[in-house]
Amino acid sequence: MGRSRPRKDPWPRYRPGVLARWRDHLRILRETFHFVSERLGTSLLVWLLVGIALALPAGLFLLQVNLSAMTAAWEGRPGLSVYFELQAPDQAIADLAAAMDEQPSVARVRVISQAEALAEFQRYVGLEDALALLEENPLPASLRATLAPGAGPDDLEALARLAQDAAAVAEVVVEKTWLERVTDVTRVVTRLGLMLAALFGLGAVLITATSVRLAIEARLEELRVLKLVGATDAQIRRPFLYFGAVYGIGGGVVAAMLISLGLVVIERPLSEFLGSYGADLALTGFDLAFVGGLFAAAGMLGVAGALSAARQRLSDLEFL
Amino acid sequence: MGQVEFLHVTRRFDNGQEALKELTASFEPGSMTFLTGHSGAGKSTFLKLLLCLDRPTRGQILVNGVNVAQLPPKRLAYYRQHLGAVFQDHHLLSQRSVFDNVALPLRVAGHRERDVARRVRAALSRVGLLSKESLFPRYLSTGEQQRVGIARAVVNRPKILLADEPTGNLDPELSRDIMQLFRQFHQVGTTVIVASHDRDLIESMGMRIIELAHGSIVSDRGPSERAEGAAVAEADGELHGP
Repeated sequence: MGRSRPRKDPWPRYRPGVLARWRDHLRILRETFHFVSERLGTSLLVWLLVGIALALPAGLFLLQVNLSAMTAAWEGRPGLSVYFELQAPDQAIADLAAAMDEQPSVARVRVISQAEALAEFQRYVGLEDALALLEENPLPASLRATLAPGAGPDDLEALARLAQDAAAVAEVVVEKTWLERVTDVTRVVTRLGLMLAALFGLGAVLITATSVRLAIEARLEELRVLKLVGATDAQIRRPFLYFGAVYGIGGGVVAAMLISLGLVVIERPLSEFLGSYGADLALTGFDLAFVGGLFAAAGMLGVAGALSAARQRLSDLEFL
Repeated sequence: MGQVEFLHVTRRFDNGQEALKELTASFEPGSMTFLTGHSGAGKSTFLKLLLCLDRPTRGQILVNGVNVAQLPPKRLAYYRQHLGAVFQDHHLLSQRSVFDNVALPLRVAGHRERDVARRVRAALSRVGLLSKESLFPRYLSTGEQQRVGIARAVVNRPKILLADEPTGNLDPELSRDIMQLFRQFHQVGTTVIVASHDRDLIESMGMRIIELAHGSIVSDRGPSERAEGAAVAEADGELHGP
C-alpha cells in the first residue's frame, strides 16, 4: 500500500469562469427574491421594522444638516451691532466701519444712517403721521458687522472691544446668544443622532439577523445536503448575505419613504415658523446622495446581521 | 484514484461508548466492498468518518494518501465534491425537481449550466429516470427516490461512492436493482463501499464483505474467500447435517 503523499492535489477545485460566477450570483439573487416574495408578509414586516429603526437616526441626521446649513446661511450670523451717539459725526462712523472692514474675522460691514433707520422703522411700524410730528430723528446711526465663516467667539470679543474703544459709540450689542443656542441644539441633535444611529443600527442588525436565522432554519435540510455535496462555507452563507442585503435595502427604502412623509407633514408648520423670523424654508440634504447613502448603510447593516446569524447557525451545521 | 485506508481508527463518544475500536482496513481503487453487521456495529460511523461528517478520536483515515480527518474546512468541501454519498432516506430536497436535485453537486462545483444539463440527464438516464426529471420527489415511489439519490451521488463522477443502508426501505427486487446499479459504477472504476445489514442480498453480489461487531472487524472476506467459506459451510452442513 503506497502511503506517500501525492504530488498533486487529489481533490482539485473546479474553477468556473467569470461568466459562470456571475450567473451563479444572478441565480442566487433570483432565488432570494423568490424566497422573499414567497414570504411577503414576513418580508414586509421586516422591511417596516428595519425602516422604522433607520428612519429616526437618518431623520435626525437630516435635521442636523439643516440646522447647520441654517445657522451658516442665517442673515443674523454671529456678529455685532454698534449704536452711535445721536450726534455722532459721520467721520467717526466711517472710521469705525473702515476699521471693522479691515478685520479678517469680519465678512461684511453695513452702516445704517439715522435716516435709513427711521425709514426702516416707519416701514415696519407704519406710524408715518406720528413720526412726522417729531422735530428730530430719535434713532441713532448704527453699524452691523457680520463674522466671517470660521471666526469664533474670541474674534467677536475682539471686535466688541474695538467698537467700545471707538469714538461716539453709545452701545455695542454682541448678537450671539440666539445663535449659541442653535449651535448647542445642533450639537445635541448630532450627539443624539449618533447615539440613536448606534442603537437603532444595532436594532436593524438584530432584526435582520433574526429574520435570516428564520430563513436558515427554513432551509436547514437543503443546507445540510449542500454541505454534503461539497459546498464551501462561503457558498452556504452567500444566499443569506443576499437576504440580509435585500432586507436591509428594503428597510432603507421604507426609511426614505418615512422621512419623505415626515418632511411633507412638517413642511407647512416649519415654513410658517421660519416665516415668523423672516426666513424662507429651504430644507436641504434629502437628495440623491443622502438616499444612496441611506440605502448603502441599510444594505451593510442587513449584511452584517445576516453574517452574524449565518456564522452562529452554520458553524455547527452537520448533516446527520 | 480512490484508495481508502483506515489506520487504527477509534471513535469514542462523550458517553465513553466506542463506535469503532482500533479499526484498520484498506480499500483498493475501483474495488467494491460491503460493510455488514448488526445495528450499532459501527457501519454508519465508518461511513460518516469517511465523509468527514464526524472525526475519529484516534487514528488516520487516508484517502489517496491524505489524512482526511485533518482537512481544513475549505479543502474538506473540495474533498466532498469528489465523493458520492447515498443514504437510506435519500435526503432529496422536496422543493426542487428531480433535475435540480441531481444538479446540486454540479452547481456547487460551479459547472456551466450546459454541462450541468448534459451530465444530469446522463445520470438520470443511467438510473432509468430521464422521463421524470421535471417531477418533484414527492411524486416518485421510494425506489425511484432512492435512484434519484444515486444519480445525485454519481453525477459528479466521484472516485469514491459511499452508501449507508441504501436498500433499507426497499423490497427485495428493488434492492437487487439498486445493488446492480452500484455494481455498474464499480465496474467503471469507482471505489464503492456499501453499508448494509441485508446479508442475503450482499452475499448474492459476490463482492468483498467486511463484518463489523462492536466497532471491530470480525471477518473480512474477498470474493474467492467467500466462495471457499461457502464451500466449507456447505461441507460443514453436510458433515453435521440436520
